Amino acid sequence: MTQRLQIGATFIIMYLSFGYLIYPNQIYLLTNTAHWEAVICLGLLQLFLIWIYVKGLNYFPKHDIIDILSQIGRWMVFVLLIPYVINLIALVAVNVRLHTVLINKIFLPRTPYWPILFLLMSISTYTAIKGIGTIMRCSIFFFCMVVPIAIFNILSSVVNFDLHNISPVITPTSNFLLDMRFYYLLGFSSFLYLGFMISKQRTFRPLFFAWISVVLFLLSVVYIPLFIFGQETAVMLPHPFVESMDSIDISWFFFNRQTIFFGIAVIGLVTFTNSLMLWMAGRILQKMWKNQIKKLTQWIVFSSILALTLSLLIPNKSMIDDCFYWGIRVHTFSVIFIPFTIFIYGFFRKKRRMRNEK
Amino acid sequence: MLEIIKKVKTVFSNHDDFFIETEIVNDITLYFIGFSTILDVPKSKMYVQQMAASSPTISALFSTIGREVNVDINKINKAVLAGNLVLVSENGQWNAIVDPIAQPLNRSLKEPKNESPIQASMDAFGENIQINIGIIRQRLNTERLCLCSYQVGELEKRNISMLYVAGKAPTSLIEQVERHIKRIDSDIETMDDLNKYFGHRKISPVSHFFATELPIQAIHALKENRVVLFLDHYPFAIIFPHLLRDMVSSANDRNFPFVLAAMLRVFRAIGAIVTLILPALYVSLVSVNPEAFKTDLALFVLKSREGIPLSAFLETITMVILVDLILEAIVRLPKTVGPAVTMVGGIILGQAMVEARLVSNLLVIVITVVVVASSAIIGMQNSLYIRMLKYPILILSSIFGILGLCIGLILTVIYLASLTSNDIPYTTFQIKEEDTT
Repeated sequence: MTQRLQIGATFIIMYLSFGYLIYPNQIYLLTNTAHWEAVICLGLLQLFLIWIYVKGLNYFPKHDIIDILSQIGRWMVFVLLIPYVINLIALVAVNVRLHTVLINKIFLPRTPYWPILFLLMSISTYTAIKGIGTIMRCSIFFFCMVVPIAIFNILSSVVNFDLHNISPVITPTSNFLLDMRFYYLLGFSSFLYLGFMISKQRTFRPLFFAWISVVLFLLSVVYIPLFIFGQETAVMLPHPFVESMDSIDISWFFFNRQTIFFGIAVIGLVTFTNSLMLWMAGRILQKMWKNQIKKLTQWIVFSSILALTLSLLIPNKSMIDDCFYWGIRVHTFSVIFIPFTIFIYGFFRKKRRMRNEK
Repeated sequence: MLEIIKKVKTVFSNHDDFFIETEIVNDITLYFIGFSTILDVPKSKMYVQQMAASSPTISALFSTIGREVNVDINKINKAVLAGNLVLVSENGQWNAIVDPIAQPLNRSLKEPKNESPIQASMDAFGENIQINIGIIRQRLNTERLCLCSYQVGELEKRNISMLYVAGKAPTSLIEQVERHIKRIDSDIETMDDLNKYFGHRKISPVSHFFATELPIQAIHALKENRVVLFLDHYPFAIIFPHLLRDMVSSANDRNFPFVLAAMLRVFRAIGAIVTLILPALYVSLVSVNPEAFKTDLALFVLKSREGIPLSAFLETITMVILVDLILEAIVRLPKTVGPAVTMVGGIILGQAMVEARLVSNLLVIVITVVVVASSAIIGMQNSLYIRMLKYPILILSSIFGILGLCIGLILTVIYLASLTSNDIPYTTFQIKEEDTT
């Protein structure tokens, strides 16, 4: 029961972390009207992939994806997981840099960005070193820290809504389905961590509930800027959701800006997501080079130093957004290929076994 | 003199309270051996005389009153050290270890001194390990309550007893505790000595154990699949493993209706969180992120700090340390002097420092709230470590403001979540029952 809660919480936090910064921009670029269609179609695609993934993983109880892929062959591990690790490290780097800029803007406008970068990175590394057990146990805390704030932000933004801004709501278009950029948005999903949890039976149901809440959240992230600014303005904004948070003023509240709260949620999201990604990268690297006995800690520290260097190398703000989007695009390939590979291999292995038993 | 008597005498030659006396009982001379400081000699002699009156022969007497008869010299030495009376017949043919009339060295059962339960039974554990176990046995009379006793230590042997409910506490947990106790090869003087043998927590403020004075709490822990240890001469039940939940929930809460108990627990949780973040919040809002407040609130805060020479961080850390000093001083001092310190401290904190414009009014309020909040937590040890953990958060927030506060809080939570005792996480809510099927 506890583990299911933790997995659900982790799922939601990971999606929130990826979702609210670049995701709305990409949706606005895809379609001018009926954005909900795009969000829900994408959600359904993701749900299908999650189902395939869980189904595939359930063919191999008590194994993680590294074990499963190395059963196919060592080359498979290299082909699928090496790009994934590189992608993970790059994502950590861009993610932390992206959020550093945001946090810098919200809390400490006069401080240079690198101390914040170091702080965020070091705490993520510390968490990753403590292991998956600690990360999962923390997930509930992060959930309690982030989700009420997110809900509060969403509800409080209602004061600025203008219903005319989002019309026309119902003009079904299917043009975006032909757009390649739509499929690249699959990279915003982050369910691959499920393959690293070792358990007898992975259940789909908690993920389904988590998925519903994530879709609701993504809808709100896309629609709040639309409600407040309208499509034409929202497209022009670098981070529409942040800007809409900034526009809210509640007179009875003791904080000057809503963004402060939003910033607190962001800190929780970025530390948690990065620590889980660093741990996954470290885990893959450790298991890939089994004969060279290196500790998980060393691999995690190695990955985080690499990510830190990468993030320091990104020169300017527009580059960060671009890099993040490119990282997400590359992530799409892992998100599609890893679940399918595992599912197909598991399916055929089971068939072969059944034939052998006969 | 007999060989055996000589040997015992040489072993205890440096002990002035050691006695060997001869006494004629039923026309037979007997040697009485023991420590006069532990046993009540005249009463013990009288007891032997009375028993002898009803026993026709020496063998009958020895077998009636002796716990063990005709033992070797090593056992005699041990028995003497353990506070028993040893009887040896004149010719050395017979000897016996007798349970004596002991000096009243133990205090009787009293009310709890460290905890104050409301609407609950008022007895508490004492120094005597047998009585402590007896209290538990009396209240939890089931055959599933198991007891294992050990003697550990290098210089002195101390008794440790482990209690658990068979079929409830996981076997792996019991085995691990047993292994840890058997590993002990040095003297156990304090809880921390014992803590050392239960896993890697040398510099951790969180102990593996939760100590309680209240039998109801210990029994509740047993029923919750945990293990309870008793150390002789230590008037606490040592509950293993210690969980985060112990900070907010106590077995006594449930003497109130559920809603009230839940309210109490929520208050304690708020107390812990407030202790951790309030000083840090003050520093970050005053010195690093004043723009976060609404304008009128920010102006009010600024006004209260007008003319104060210290920086917000210095001001806060001084006050926090001062308060912790006062709390420690009150505990340390005898009861007659304690109130004086409280009064002086109160005047310094409440009035003098504000009037001298050293600290702001607002800070005094913050500090008072923190002291009150930290006292709401259950267990002195828990309260102390929460008080300690507020310092790193305070320092971080003085550098990074609200960001530092969040990071500090996250760091604290991650640290607490990473703690485990025998693979049972500190932050878990319940320990799984042993699967008996």
